[in-house]
Amino acid sequence: MDKKKLNAKDFINIGIFTVIYFVMFFITGMLGYIPIFAVIIPLVLGILGGIPFMLFLTKTGKFGAATIMGTLVSVLCFLMGQSWISIPFGIVFGFLADLIFKAGEYKSWKHTVLGYCVFTEWVIGSMLPMWIMRDTFFEAYRSKGGTDEYINAVMGLTANWMLPVVIVLGIVGGVIGAYLGKAILKKHFVKAGIV
Amino acid sequence: MKPELLLSVDSKQSFWIDPRTKLYMLVIFSIVMIDGKTDGISFWLKPILALIPFFLLLSGRRKKIAIIYLIVFIVSWTVNVFLVPYMGLIGTIIISLLAQFGTRWFPSAMMGYYLLSTTKVSEFVLAMQRMHIPEAFIIPFSVMFRFFPTISEEAGSIGNAMRMRGITGKNFFKNPQAVLEYRIVPLMMSVVTIGNDLSAAALTRGLGNGKKRTSICKIGFHWKDFALMIIVTAALLVFLLF
Repeated sequence: MDKKKLNAKDFINIGIFTVIYFVMFFITGMLGYIPIFAVIIPLVLGILGGIPFMLFLTKTGKFGAATIMGTLVSVLCFLMGQSWISIPFGIVFGFLADLIFKAGEYKSWKHTVLGYCVFTEWVIGSMLPMWIMRDTFFEAYRSKGGTDEYINAVMGLTANWMLPVVIVLGIVGGVIGAYLGKAILKKHFVKAGIV
Repeated sequence: MKPELLLSVDSKQSFWIDPRTKLYMLVIFSIVMIDGKTDGISFWLKPILALIPFFLLLSGRRKKIAIIYLIVFIVSWTVNVFLVPYMGLIGTIIISLLAQFGTRWFPSAMMGYYLLSTTKVSEFVLAMQRMHIPEAFIIPFSVMFRFFPTISEEAGSIGNAMRMRGITGKNFFKNPQAVLEYRIVPLMMSVVTIGNDLSAAALTRGLGNGKKRTSICKIGFHWKDFALMIIVTAALLVFLLF
């Protein structure tokens, strides 16, 4: 069997780890129902997803795995009734992460951390409707006679500058998650001979 | 996570439609419904469109969920269209946000639920093959749906074991590290083992040998599929043009 290309065993592993990652995402997504907490979703997702993702990387250290995983996670989001906008995000960020992992030959720790941070950013895709929705929502509100000061105050919570904040939080979460994942991997899985 | 995802066995549904039709409707729903307009043509279009998942769920023998869905949609639609203009400032923000949830997100979610709960895995796999989706996506996908119930089962058992030691979600803030570690690590251990077994089983059955696979299921388009497709496409066109 070709060692460099993904084979059926890898596909099965991708499926399994996507499920675990998605469960982590689902837990995180519960936070999103509380409007203010929605902003920290990338942070929490980065931390929670770190452990499965690090194990996933050691299991399938081949080009394409992260792309498939990103695509599948976002397609699952879509099937659960979210907007389709998250699908291109899942594909693009998964692919970018793959490129970074590839540059580090799937061994370099720096590339792994960076790649995982990039991968975590796909979640922006599932959060974008929040920003798109906001505009139509406040437009309707203004036309019904809402005062501008009040609107501005509420808008501040979801203002455009929050987007960079969300991105930075994703990176922070990614770094914490990657280190957490590495520590856990070392502590448990290497000892048990699973990796 | 419900264990019934893509595992339904009632193949003799009175109203069987092709998985591809369901997928197509889901796409249209996520385009039309996510938009927040309730005036003009949307006032007629959206409730009509929202009725489709209701009837589909009824025909799929999921009466309880269908009725819950109908009630939630009607309530949030009424609130959105008739009540919001007359409410105070803060009431508007909070209540209409909830109502927006009911009118925008819920119909698509129900469509997705219908797709997942009334389609068998093998039907879905065959539909994906017909759509020329590469094997790299089909195999993980079918594995995933077999795995959701397994994971919730495993997680439940681990949760029971950990409850004896007081490591539950309730005590999360007392010792978050322990809760994370003692819950996730055993789950991953068992999942990796199950994955190895699964891939061994799948390889013996010839998965991934590159040959075209056959299926026992029969899927295809019938007049129902065409009718539904025409309805949702018309809705999309009306929505985009007016």
